[in-house]
Amino acid sequence: MNKFAIGCGGLLLILLFVVFVVGLFFWGTYNRLVTLDQTVNKKWGDVQTVYQRRADLIPNLVNTVQGAANFEKSTVVEVTNARASVGRVQLDPNKAPTNAAQLEQFQAAQGQLSNALSRLLVVVERYPELKSNQNFLALQAQLEGTENRISVERSNFNGTVQDYNTAVKRFPTNVIAGMFGFQPRPFFNAQPGAEKAPAVNFNFGTPAPAASPAGSP
Amino acid sequence: MKRIPSEVDRPLRGRCQTNAASPSLLTSSAERSIHLAVAALIVLAVSAQAAEAIPSKPDRYFNDYAGVVSKEAALRLNEQLAQFERETSDQLLVVVWPTMPSQSSIEDFTQRTFQAWMVGQKGRNNGVVLFVFVKDRRMRIQPGYGLEGALPDITCDQIIRNEIAPRFRSGDYEGGLTAGIDSICKAIRGEYQGSEKTVAERRGNASAPSFLFFIIFVIVLIVISRLMRRLGGYGYSSGRGGPIFFPIGGGGGGWSSGGGSGFSGFSGGGGLSGGGGASGSW
Repeated sequence: MNKFAIGCGGLLLILLFVVFVVGLFFWGTYNRLVTLDQTVNKKWGDVQTVYQRRADLIPNLVNTVQGAANFEKSTVVEVTNARASVGRVQLDPNKAPTNAAQLEQFQAAQGQLSNALSRLLVVVERYPELKSNQNFLALQAQLEGTENRISVERSNFNGTVQDYNTAVKRFPTNVIAGMFGFQPRPFFNAQPGAEKAPAVNFNFGTPAPAASPAGSP
Repeated sequence: MKRIPSEVDRPLRGRCQTNAASPSLLTSSAERSIHLAVAALIVLAVSAQAAEAIPSKPDRYFNDYAGVVSKEAALRLNEQLAQFERETSDQLLVVVWPTMPSQSSIEDFTQRTFQAWMVGQKGRNNGVVLFVFVKDRRMRIQPGYGLEGALPDITCDQIIRNEIAPRFRSGDYEGGLTAGIDSICKAIRGEYQGSEKTVAERRGNASAPSFLFFIIFVIVLIVISRLMRRLGGYGYSSGRGGPIFFPIGGGGGGWSSGGGSGFSGFSGGGGLSGGGGASGSW
């Protein structure tokens, strides 16, 4: 009888120990996932901020450019439309998207705006009065800085998503991730053509091969 | 890169084991190890090609690798920048290269270099780097996150356009860099309060007290273990307690730079950059 009680107690102790260890593992893993998730969300917020910064620059840019004598209207309209379509694909700035299609859509709208903007900047080259306009120069500097910030924040975001996704997909973390609904997050894809360095026109007489219309001046 | 140590490790271990085994095993294992070593070398070569090397951290504030500025001026500007960090804690770095050591775009290269050098104080992110590529006739001012307010893109653009580029165009590199440094300092002064010491100076001094603490820690441990041994024997431990384990290794990890060598050394404080700033050419 006494032996039996001791056996039961021992078993209970072992069981308790196992539960404790498993609980400890759950605790640590869950907290790690939450931290990674929050980092991804934070970086997503940074990405949204820089995109918003660009959108905020556009009305000013459009006004300045329109002030130039008989400026090509079509490029300005294109930029304005692209900005409006960007406004329609607003994603939650506090939570990184979990749906790949959603991010794709967001990226497509922003990409359209990038293209429209770079076309506009190419057209501006033909207007010397604009190119020496202080207001325009300031806007151009801001716009270039913002484009660079966008690419930096996008790659920062992708880095954190990679860490998060690795944790979510690896065993045994994936078990806990599945239980608490941590899903892998989509990345930003490189823009089609973005893997190439921006085309630099040296004007050697022959057109540069594969020079995109979005070539920087 | 992580894979490489294990690839190199395995053949070595294999060889050790087969020394005790039959000679036939030895040859096959040796062959295997050669194969593995070759594979490791290939992996190394490929990864070295893929991951472009970022230039190593400069050891001073004003770095003229292109030799466009006189030695005295370089030293003077370096001291000016060191003093600026003492006063404001802002780290302003000037790097002049003959050409850009990268195939990538100037913005991408300067961003990655900034991040690797960790210019600016941790938390404040108040670093700025003025990159100049003489033969490319390109330059860039890149501030860290914390100075984007005091040094917005327009200001960077104006400093390049109005202060530096005209002087560079007439071949006056020293004048252009001096004017650029003065303008940047003027723009960011007052944003942060300095601590009278540069990061390098703080690190150099920090190593002494931490080493002292380590010695005190060791003495305390020895005293405690002696006391325990004396008190022991009464149901606590059986006479001689084992020695209390403590890790033996390097004490304070700080390294000193600057002072004595004739120039104030630069040491990154851990600042980050978000890719702001402006590029320009002349």
